[in-house]
Amino acid sequence: MRGSAAPTSPGAWDARSEALLGTPALTAAGTLDLRAPAPEDPVPSEIAPPREATPTPPPCSGTAWDAPAPAVTEGQEPPSEAAAPTDAPAPTASHPAPTAPGPAPEPAARPEPAEPTEGTRVENRPADGTALRPAPAAVAADGTAPRPAPAGTAADVGARPRSRRGQADPVKVLMHRHRELCERAVDPLEIAAGLEAQGFTDRTAARFRHRDVFSLAEELYARVPRGPEGPAPVVEPERARAPWAPAVLAPGGVAGLTALGLASGHGPVRLAVGAAGALALGGALLLAVRQGPFRAPDGGTVPAARLWTLWLLAYAVGGDGLLDQVLTGGPDGPWELTTAPLLGLALAVAPAAWGAHLFASRARRRIADSRGLADFAAAVRPLLLGTVTLQLLALTGLLVLTGFSSGALALGALLLLARLHTVHGHPEAAAAVLAAACAGEVLALASVLAARVPLPGFDALAVPVRALVEARGPGAVPTLVCGAAALGLLAHATGALARASAHATP
Amino acid sequence: MRIGLLTEGGYPYATGESGRWCERLVHGLGQHRFDLYVLGPAGTPRPLPPHARVARVADPGGPDGAPAASGAWSPCAPRAARRAYGRRERRRFTEAYHRLATGLCAEHDEDEGNGGSPFADGLYTLAELARERGGLPGALRSDDAVRVLEAACRAPGARRGAAAAGLPDHLAFAAHLERALRPLSLDWYEDDALGAADLCHAAAGGTTALPGLLAKRFFGTPLLVTEYGVPLRAHYLSAAGADRSGPLRALLAALHGRLAGETYRQAALLTPGNAHARRWLEKCGADRARIRTVHPGMAAERFAEVGEDEESGDPATLLWVGRVEPAKDLVGLLHAFAEIRARQPDARLRIVAVPEREPCGAGYLTYCKGLAAQLFPDEAPGAHAVGENPVTFEELGGPEAPTLEDTYASGALVVMSSLVEGFPAPLVEAMFCARATVSTDVGAVVEIVGGTGLVVPPRNPRALADACLALLRDPERRHRLGAAARARALELFTVEQNLAAFRGIYLELLSHAPVRHRPGDGVPFAHPAEAHVPGSWAPKAVSAGTGAPDA
Repeated sequence: MRGSAAPTSPGAWDARSEALLGTPALTAAGTLDLRAPAPEDPVPSEIAPPREATPTPPPCSGTAWDAPAPAVTEGQEPPSEAAAPTDAPAPTASHPAPTAPGPAPEPAARPEPAEPTEGTRVENRPADGTALRPAPAAVAADGTAPRPAPAGTAADVGARPRSRRGQADPVKVLMHRHRELCERAVDPLEIAAGLEAQGFTDRTAARFRHRDVFSLAEELYARVPRGPEGPAPVVEPERARAPWAPAVLAPGGVAGLTALGLASGHGPVRLAVGAAGALALGGALLLAVRQGPFRAPDGGTVPAARLWTLWLLAYAVGGDGLLDQVLTGGPDGPWELTTAPLLGLALAVAPAAWGAHLFASRARRRIADSRGLADFAAAVRPLLLGTVTLQLLALTGLLVLTGFSSGALALGALLLLARLHTVHGHPEAAAAVLAAACAGEVLALASVLAARVPLPGFDALAVPVRALVEARGPGAVPTLVCGAAALGLLAHATGALARASAHATP
Repeated sequence: MRIGLLTEGGYPYATGESGRWCERLVHGLGQHRFDLYVLGPAGTPRPLPPHARVARVADPGGPDGAPAASGAWSPCAPRAARRAYGRRERRRFTEAYHRLATGLCAEHDEDEGNGGSPFADGLYTLAELARERGGLPGALRSDDAVRVLEAACRAPGARRGAAAAGLPDHLAFAAHLERALRPLSLDWYEDDALGAADLCHAAAGGTTALPGLLAKRFFGTPLLVTEYGVPLRAHYLSAAGADRSGPLRALLAALHGRLAGETYRQAALLTPGNAHARRWLEKCGADRARIRTVHPGMAAERFAEVGEDEESGDPATLLWVGRVEPAKDLVGLLHAFAEIRARQPDARLRIVAVPEREPCGAGYLTYCKGLAAQLFPDEAPGAHAVGENPVTFEELGGPEAPTLEDTYASGALVVMSSLVEGFPAPLVEAMFCARATVSTDVGAVVEIVGGTGLVVPPRNPRALADACLALLRDPERRHRLGAAARARALELFTVEQNLAAFRGIYLELLSHAPVRHRPGDGVPFAHPAEAHVPGSWAPKAVSAGTGAPDA
C-alpha cells in the first residue's frame, strides 16, 4: 500500500471526515491545489495569509521539487500534486501553487455566481487557473452519486445542501436511491459489492459519516425495511422443447410399416423386409430414448442395459417358439416368430413417453409446492403409481389391438419402469433388474437343455419350466420373469423416484 | 523447491489476465520447480519452461459428478461417483454434512471451544471421506444431504434468509454445493501429487484455493493465495444470481463467504493485487499481518522509448485508452471535453478503443460517437478546407494507433473517466510512458497514481475538465508529473518487482514451514544450518522446552 492514499489510521480518518463532511467534491477539493480558498471557509483557518500571498507573482515557475509542504505529505512520492484526500486539505489548499504563473488572480471574496452564469464566469477567469475554485467542481452535474453537498463554496458546505434537500440524513437518500439493491441483498457484503460496482469508494463513504463502504453497507442493510419475504416466484425455465413427438412416434411407425410389409410379402422379400424393419426399429428406439422424456441425463446410462433390452425383445419375438421346440426335443429347424408383441410395444412407446413427461413435469412442479422432502415424497408416490397405471392401460389397449400376450405386457411394464429409473438417475438399478430378467429367461431355456445331460438327477432341472409351460403355455415364462422383475422395480421406484433428488437434475 | 501452482481455468491452456501473470511467474522464477494443477478444461497447453510441468488437470465443470482427472480418468468414473455409501460411511457423511450445513446456516461461524469452525470441520471431514472412499458428488446430491440441509435451515438460530428456503432452494443449493466441492474428490491429494509440493500457491481464491486448503490439512503444505480480483465480490456481482430466489442467494452467499473466510484464515500468506482487494480480504477475516499487497507486474520495456522522451506528444491532445463500456463513462468524458474546448479551443481528444474478443460495447460506442458529433461540430481551418471533428474514435491496431506505445506517445495527457475500475492497466501503461494522468477516484486508481497525477471524483465532468485544463496549460507541471509517474510505475508495477516479491515470499514461507526431510532434494531450509557444522558443536543437547537455547 505504498502508493495508496487510502487512510491508514482510522482515528485520523474519522476526524478528518468529520471536518470534511459535506465538503463538495471531496477529492476535487484536495486535487486542484491551485484554488484560492473562499474567505469564509471554516475548515482551513490558516488560509488567510496565503490568500494575501497569492497576488504576488509566483517566485518559481520551475520545478515542483521545491514545492512546499503539500508535496511532501505523500511520503515517498516527492511530486505529490494530486492531493488525494489523505492529505489534509487545509495545508493543500493553503499553499499557493508554486507553478502557477498567473499574475492576476481574481479577488478571492468574489460572490458565488449562480450556475447559469457559469460559462461566462469561466471565460473571464484568468487563463492559468490560479483561482480555480472548489465551487464549480462541486456544482458539476452529478448523475447518481448521492452527493449531499451539491453546491456552494467551501464556506457554506454545512448549510446549503441541507437546505436544498431538507433535513434528511444523507444515508436515507442513498437508501432510497439504492432501494432495490438494499432490499435484494442477503447480507451487508452484497450491498458493499453493489455500491463498489457503482463506483463507491471509501472516500465516498466518508461523506456519509462512515469509515468505509463496508460500514456504510452495514448501516444500509440494517436500515432498509424488509417485509416478510415471500418466496420468489420461481419461473419455470421454459426449456426450448425439442419436438420429441416424432421421435417417440417413430418406433410405432416403423413397426407398423414393417408389420404391413411382412403381411404382404412372401419368401425372400419377407426376410428382407423383416431384417430391414428390425434395423429400422432399433434405430427408431435409439432415437426415442435420445430425445424427449425418455432422454437420460448425460453420462447416466449403463451401456450393458442396451444389450439386456435387446435380449428381452428378442425373446419376446422368438423365445416362446424356441422354448416350445426345446421342450419337445428340438430345436429342429426355424421356429415360429411372433412379431405382434413387438408391434404393440413399439406402438406403446409414444403413450409411455407422454406419461413419463407428465410424471416428470408434475413432479418438478411438486418440488416448488412442497414444504419439505417428506411432503414431496407423499405427493409424488401416488403420482408415480397413477402414471404407471395409465401407461400400462395404454399398453394393454395397444396389445389388445395387435394381439395380446401377457408376456408382452409384463415386458412392457419392465422396460417402462427401467427407463423411468434411468431417466431419473438410477441407471444401475434398472440395468441390474434387466440383467436379472435376462438371466431368468436364459435360465429357463438352459434348464430345459441341461435336463438332456445324461447324468442322474439332471432330469429334474426341466421339471419346473415344463410344468409351467404345460399349465400356462410357453408365454408364462416371460410373464413370470418379467412380471417379477417389473414388480421389483416398481417397489424400488416408490422409494427411489419419490426422492426429490431424482427430479432435481436440471 | 517444488511449488504446486493451482491455477484457475486458464493457464496454461488459455490466456487471460491471470494466465499471463502465471506465465510470467513460471518463466521468471527458474530456480523453483513448478507443478501446475489446473482446474478447468484442458486443451493445447502453451509452451512451458523445462522446470514446469502440468501435474494434474481436472475440469470441475464437467458433465457429471466425477471430475475427470487426468491421472486416473476412466469411463466408469461417473458411476463410481454415484456409488452409494454403506451404512457407516453414510453416517459419517451425514454427520460431516450436518456440521457443514450448521456452520453455513448459523449467523456467525463461531468456534466451539475446540478451535475449529463447524463449517471448516465439516468440510475437512467430507474431504477425508472423499479421499478415502470417493463417491462424494453422489452423496452431496442425495436426499440425505437435502434432508440435513433442510433441518439445518430450520434449526433455531439459522440466518434470516436461510430459514425461508423451500425445497427447490435446497435442491438447487445442494447441486451448487456439489459443484463447488468437486475439488474435494480430485486425486490430487496423494504423496506424489500435492503431497510432494513444498508450497501451494493458489492463483485465485475461492474454489481454486480449495485444493490448497486440503493440501494444508493433509500434508501441512503452506498455502499462498494470490487474489487479483476478490472471488466473493465477484460472486455477489455475478449476473447468474439475478434469477435466484432470496433464500438460495443467502445460502450461496454464506457458502462463498465461509469458504473465503476459511481460505483467508488458513493461508500462510495472502497477496492481494491492490489495496482495494486487500480491504475485502481484511473484511472477510484475513489477518492483517499475513497480507502483503503485491501489485501485478506489467511489461515496461515496450514503453521505455516513449517514456524517456519527455517532450513527445501533441501538447493539446487528450488521450483516452481502454475498453469501451458504459462503466468507463465516456459520456462524462465528452461533457468534460466540451468544457475544456470552451476554454481552450485547440484541444483535441483521441478515444482509442482496445479491441475486445466479444464486442459488447458496440452500442455504447455508437452512442458516444453520436454524442460527440452533437457536441462538437466538425471544424475546418479555412473556408476551403475539409473539416474535422476534435474528437476522434479509433481502434487500437488501426493505422492511426498501431501500437499502445505509439498511441500514448501521441498525446500529452491521458484521461481516465471510469466509474468503476479494478486495477486499470491503461493507467499504469500511461505512467510507464511518462504521461501525466487525470483520472477518477475509483478502484485502485489512487493507489496506482499516488501523487503523480490528478485525481477527481467520478461523475464530475467539471472537475475533470478543470484538472485537464490545469495540466494542459502547464506543460512544465505536466512533464514533471509524467516523469514522476514513470519513476513510480517503474518502481512499483514492473514484472521484476512482482517476481522479486514472490521470490522473497516463497523463501519466507518455506523458512517458516515445518521441515520435511526428503533426501536428495535441494529444498532450501530443509536442514537446519547447524546440520552442516562438522562434529558436535553444542556442549550438550538441550531438550525442547527446557529453556532458551542461548541462555
